[in-house]
Amino acid sequence: MNSQLDVAIAGMGLTKQGRRLGISRRELRRQALDLALTDANLQRSDIDGYIFIGATPEDLRYLGLSPAFAYSLMTGGASPVASILVAAGAVATDQARHVACVYGEAYSSIPPKLNPHSNAGTERDIKAYSYGYPYLYGMVGPAATYALAARRHMSLYGTTSEDLGRVAVTEREFASVRPGAQGYGQPITLDDHQDSRMIVDPLRLLDCSRPTDGGAAVIVTSSKRAADLTDRPVEVLGAGTSHGIESWWNGSMFESMNVSRAAQRAFEQAQVGIEDIDVAQLYAPFTIATLMQLEEYGFCKPGEGGSFVAAGHTGPGGTIPTNTGGGQLSGFYATGFTPLSEGILQMRGEAPSNQVVGAQTCLVSGSGGNGGIQGSWAHAALILGAAR
Amino acid sequence: MIPVDRPLPGDVVEDAIDQPFWDACRDHVLLIYRCRICAESFWPAGCCPQHGMQDMIWVTASGGGTLHTWTVVHQKYSKSFTEERTVVAVVKLDEGPLMHTNLIGSNGIDLQVGLPVGVVFQTIASESVIPVFQLRNQSETSAPR
Repeated sequence: MNSQLDVAIAGMGLTKQGRRLGISRRELRRQALDLALTDANLQRSDIDGYIFIGATPEDLRYLGLSPAFAYSLMTGGASPVASILVAAGAVATDQARHVACVYGEAYSSIPPKLNPHSNAGTERDIKAYSYGYPYLYGMVGPAATYALAARRHMSLYGTTSEDLGRVAVTEREFASVRPGAQGYGQPITLDDHQDSRMIVDPLRLLDCSRPTDGGAAVIVTSSKRAADLTDRPVEVLGAGTSHGIESWWNGSMFESMNVSRAAQRAFEQAQVGIEDIDVAQLYAPFTIATLMQLEEYGFCKPGEGGSFVAAGHTGPGGTIPTNTGGGQLSGFYATGFTPLSEGILQMRGEAPSNQVVGAQTCLVSGSGGNGGIQGSWAHAALILGAAR
Repeated sequence: MIPVDRPLPGDVVEDAIDQPFWDACRDHVLLIYRCRICAESFWPAGCCPQHGMQDMIWVTASGGGTLHTWTVVHQKYSKSFTEERTVVAVVKLDEGPLMHTNLIGSNGIDLQVGLPVGVVFQTIASESVIPVFQLRNQSETSAPR
């Protein structure tokens, strides 16, 4: 493996992640940044690039940073992977030496408002969760979009609710032994899944992640600097992105998470194949997303995601352990920082549970960034490598 | 009776490009936006990905299509929708584009991808009419052998 990118992750900070922590969003970001600085043996003054996942003018003052640049970046759950790419560009063009990519949200402390719609146009219920005109028809939030994909998958391939349920059970198996995870100490069975109430048919409660509060920060620098800073840098071997609006035009929207273009670029850059990936961290706020990506990345054939998971391939000790901290379903929901942070831990050999022994490569994915029709998500793929 | 505080067409887009579509709905006519260079049809309005806005025009659609996928929304996400269970469907119009809509007259059970559907128009507030779809009678729509 020879990375063409010369970019590495020198530090990571991950705050406590959970429901209603009672900590403000910017304070979660400050805590995450400070943890990342300590982790990378860096000072505040060393941070000369700041990429904020979201938008706020407050952060630099509150976090005490004076970088050469500070950008907001928001393409939904693809943002964390995208931020690594933007940081890599800044490092490559010598605009910054150490870029901090920082996230902190308090979703469960500040839930979306359920106010009735107002004709005055100033107050819309659920606001940004409406995603344009499908809102006219009662389509609110991402679960309904993934439900449309799940129904389509069922129709095309005979996928069943039990197939989805096994994803939830497998990811909970990882979470049940991960201290701090939402599902810690609480394994579930397929019956539990089948007994859980319907949310957006065919997705049940246990097919869905739920919002948590938390902060995350990653420090990106050159491979050489990272090697000087830490004895366990994580190499960025390859990355790729693909915006998915094309799927609206070509009719594949509910059959694809727009993986192919992003994956092709990432794997070409990393000069590895899917068979070389040791562990996968997939952006999967709903069970169907895990199945679709296992198929689209080529871990199994189209339509075989259900049987692939049922055979144990994605679970502990499987051929491709997937979402090893419990993922977004049972670990915590920090958008794309859920898979990214777990990927970094795995590549350092520091996962608190279910460390994949000897893992050298990790696939991390991100999905989000609505393209104007609900479901036209962007996709981002990242291949991380362990230090050798 | 559907309460008026549900979202209306003007609330979900930032400008008036789709206004001819909603105006036509009041006359119970379904329009799609078509590129006259490549004859591709689109909904909602926007640039043709091949030819931009060079020669876009609103044309009347057949009002027919097939059920592409669907979901039954059990969760009470919004107080604006008072139906017990809403069937949100995506219809593949005969002219090609996908369209999010409601499937009415169905409880969401015994549906199949590919079932033929037809447009009907639903008044949701004064001056606001939206297209929804219902299953078409099989005998009426089956092609002659």
